[in-house]
Amino acid sequence: MHVTADLHIHSCLSPCGSLEMSPKRIAAEAAARQIDMLAITDHNSCRNAPAFKECCNRQGIVPLFGMEVTSVEEAHVVCIFEDTPGALDFGEYIESHLPEPRGSSSMGGDQVYVDAEENILGQVNKLLIAATDISIDQLVTMVHERDGIIFPAHIDRPAFSIVMQLGFLPELPYDAIECVNPNCGIDTLGLPIITNSDAHYPEDIASRPSEYQMDTLSFKGLRAALSRQHGPESG
Amino acid sequence: MKVQEIQNCIDGEAKTKGDPSAELQDAYTSDLLSDVMGNAPANSVLITVQGHKNTVAVANLVGMPAIILCNGRGVPPDMQESAEQEGIALYTTKLDQFTASYRVAQALGKI
Repeated sequence: MHVTADLHIHSCLSPCGSLEMSPKRIAAEAAARQIDMLAITDHNSCRNAPAFKECCNRQGIVPLFGMEVTSVEEAHVVCIFEDTPGALDFGEYIESHLPEPRGSSSMGGDQVYVDAEENILGQVNKLLIAATDISIDQLVTMVHERDGIIFPAHIDRPAFSIVMQLGFLPELPYDAIECVNPNCGIDTLGLPIITNSDAHYPEDIASRPSEYQMDTLSFKGLRAALSRQHGPESG
Repeated sequence: MKVQEIQNCIDGEAKTKGDPSAELQDAYTSDLLSDVMGNAPANSVLITVQGHKNTVAVANLVGMPAIILCNGRGVPPDMQESAEQEGIALYTTKLDQFTASYRVAQALGKI
């Protein structure tokens, strides 16, 4: 079956994400744009995952749950899990690897988590756009041990991409490579190239979705579709 | 200036020896490794806070025989192992990048 998916979206939990990006609004906008599968990937926290699950279920969208983790290299890496317990557990682990807040410094934006009806449940005190002390190598291993999918984010962007931070793409068993422009000319190690919206505002939701051929409309279907796209050079 | 002279110059701790008698002609201070890759001169020492094994890979690629890790940052085991394998000298120091840089500049006779 043909599946349209957007696997990289920020909600109101990300300090740089609009407060309008409640899980309810995200799911409604994505449904209006014919998205079949949607992943919530806030910076270094999963706390909007439960509300996101409920809102996507109401809209008939398959939800996936993850984060855009900032590695010790200060590179953004997207990891995605099949269900909320696994995502929340890894989210807690990632948050615990962020630096403690420094005094009363501003977050640079709100970091609120909400319920499915947009009621604020709380806010995160640590600065979510800070870097963890976990290397990209360790992240790949840990996410795979937890049966997740992992891909380096927007590797052709000038900021926070692993290629810009290091000057090259380390050879690791990623499940895919995310680019803004699939023809960016960077060597992607024979791995499947995907695009996603990386939306921080409602108008950007589903702006760069990817199309997949899946046996089932599910996390397992996505994983199988990605592994079929691996080229001969991939590990 | 030789690699083995770095340790005293920055009040540092040697994590790997590398080639102690290698001659350093210059230094480069940066925390963005793509910038190091594009602009750092060969035979120079890298002054940075990027404490992970990819820093060693970049130093090796550029031909830098030594790395100084500033601000008291620790060396993860895979970084140390990689530096040992590649024969790159790895030092840690409590100094920040600016202070380490001007001390190395003095030792190199640049100021």
